[in-house]
Amino acid sequence: MIEVQNLTKRYGPFTAVSDVSFRVERGEILGFLGPNGAGKTTTMRVLTGYMPPSEGKAVVAGYDVFEQPLEAKRRTGYLPETPPLYPEMSVRDYLTFVSKIKGVPRGERKSRVESSMERTRIADVADRHCGKLSKGYRQRVGLAQALLHNPEVLILDEPTAGLDPKQIIETRQLIKQLAGDHTIILSTHILPEVSQTCQRVVIINKGRVVAVDTPDNLTSKLRGSETMYVQVDAAGADAKSALETVAGVTRVIAADTRGGVTGYEVESGSGEDVRRQLAAAVVQRGWGLLELRPLRMSLEEIFLSLTTEESPAETAPPAETAHE
Amino acid sequence: MSNILAIAHKELKSYFASPIAYVVIGFAAILFGWFFINLLYYFDRMSLQAGGGFGGPETVNVNEMLISPLFLNVSVILLFTLPLVTMRTYSEEKRSGTIELLLTAPLTDVQIVVGKFLGALVLYAAMMGVTVVHIGFLFAFGNPEWQPVLTGYLGLLLMGGCFLSLGLFVSSLTRNQIIAGMITFAVFLMFWVINWIATFTGPTTQAVLNYLSITEHLNDFARGVIDTKHLVYYVSFIAFSLFLTVRAVDSERWRG
Repeated sequence: MIEVQNLTKRYGPFTAVSDVSFRVERGEILGFLGPNGAGKTTTMRVLTGYMPPSEGKAVVAGYDVFEQPLEAKRRTGYLPETPPLYPEMSVRDYLTFVSKIKGVPRGERKSRVESSMERTRIADVADRHCGKLSKGYRQRVGLAQALLHNPEVLILDEPTAGLDPKQIIETRQLIKQLAGDHTIILSTHILPEVSQTCQRVVIINKGRVVAVDTPDNLTSKLRGSETMYVQVDAAGADAKSALETVAGVTRVIAADTRGGVTGYEVESGSGEDVRRQLAAAVVQRGWGLLELRPLRMSLEEIFLSLTTEESPAETAPPAETAHE
Repeated sequence: MSNILAIAHKELKSYFASPIAYVVIGFAAILFGWFFINLLYYFDRMSLQAGGGFGGPETVNVNEMLISPLFLNVSVILLFTLPLVTMRTYSEEKRSGTIELLLTAPLTDVQIVVGKFLGALVLYAAMMGVTVVHIGFLFAFGNPEWQPVLTGYLGLLLMGGCFLSLGLFVSSLTRNQIIAGMITFAVFLMFWVINWIATFTGPTTQAVLNYLSITEHLNDFARGVIDTKHLVYYVSFIAFSLFLTVRAVDSERWRG
């Protein structure tokens, strides 16, 4: 549905996006993740036909955004980083104007405006001026605007920015509902958002794609080893060496100590489950096993490891080669 | 076409939603009224002195002595008011980010530019509409010819179109309204005074400078003559400015 090939965008000598390629299938939600200034907005602006790429191409709904911009734009709904509202227009007037320029047939305009206001829960501010709305409402009017012509592709640049927690949940639910009928790309720098809403993630840093995968695969792939957290009340005895003797354990680190109770991070080889052996080792010595749980590498850690200079996980692709 | 009208309608609405339309129309009405009174007094005196050998003219003609100079004076009003109309057209959209909506909607650059131009032109027509009242008084209490009045208005509309298209172009170059306004004003002024040095130059330069001056071409319209020469000048001026605006918007996309 969306295909980006070797996309490069330069602003003068500055390269904002460099050789980015990815695909999004019909009905999929793709998360576009990256720190500020990574090139998310630039990529989205190319996809929406706001600016042409310096190199490479982007195909949206079967139309090259540069060769056949009008056809591609007719099938795309776009929520920019700042919702593009005219402060002096009322919400209803604004949406009616947008429906006209997006080519919604005259007879359908009214019903489409009403239904997209329903969906984004802004019907109560329909007659307020856009300039007088709170950030949360502006964001939702922006979303209503993107949905208005029922586009096949939705490109949402930080759709939940500025919303309160309740609105964030509502918006995520709305986005999930929209998937299936629509193909969605959403950018964010909030990680839970990606794991909750997206089927696939593109992590971008300094203009380059550093990883493309499902959130689950990313989590497991990037874990080179399994890590358990074990909290032991060893009554002064040396639990560390005892844990080290368990078969399969590669490393034990004392993580915290509180009143004779010590927490250890126990690493083992990838795919090995050493929980039973660990429990047995502790209990057989007559110590108290207070806690035993796997430590997962969160998306946050993955993200950090991918986007910082030293990448701790060996399976992570080299994060840093942003020179031309 | 419906896209163009949608943009024009939106532009017009935003003029009237902000104080700009009222300030511009009000300011123009006051100045026009002032010019009108002055010329009316002058005409009044001339008619008293006419024909009697008191140093006055042989005959008086309300078209030649009142309406035509009045129309020519309008260029002064336009010089000051039209930069206020056009300075925000593109600058404001760029600053607030709404340009992203227009450029990602299924619209061509030409549709956007022409739509904005038409919106501004309708506001300008409303501004000139006020002056119909003054001219109406002349028809109520005198008997001017109506044809030169019509051609005069046609000339004013075309001249205003030149100023507006030029202002639109300047506005497309910057995201700062004040800068857009100041540069537009300076460029208008330049086109207004460009032929002032014409009398000190050779015949060729003189002809070129006179031809370039926007206001010079109004003379014949105000006198009741529709000369293709002037029509071509105005229409091609507008078309060229709008073309430049389209190119400026397009080049902005490339530069990002």
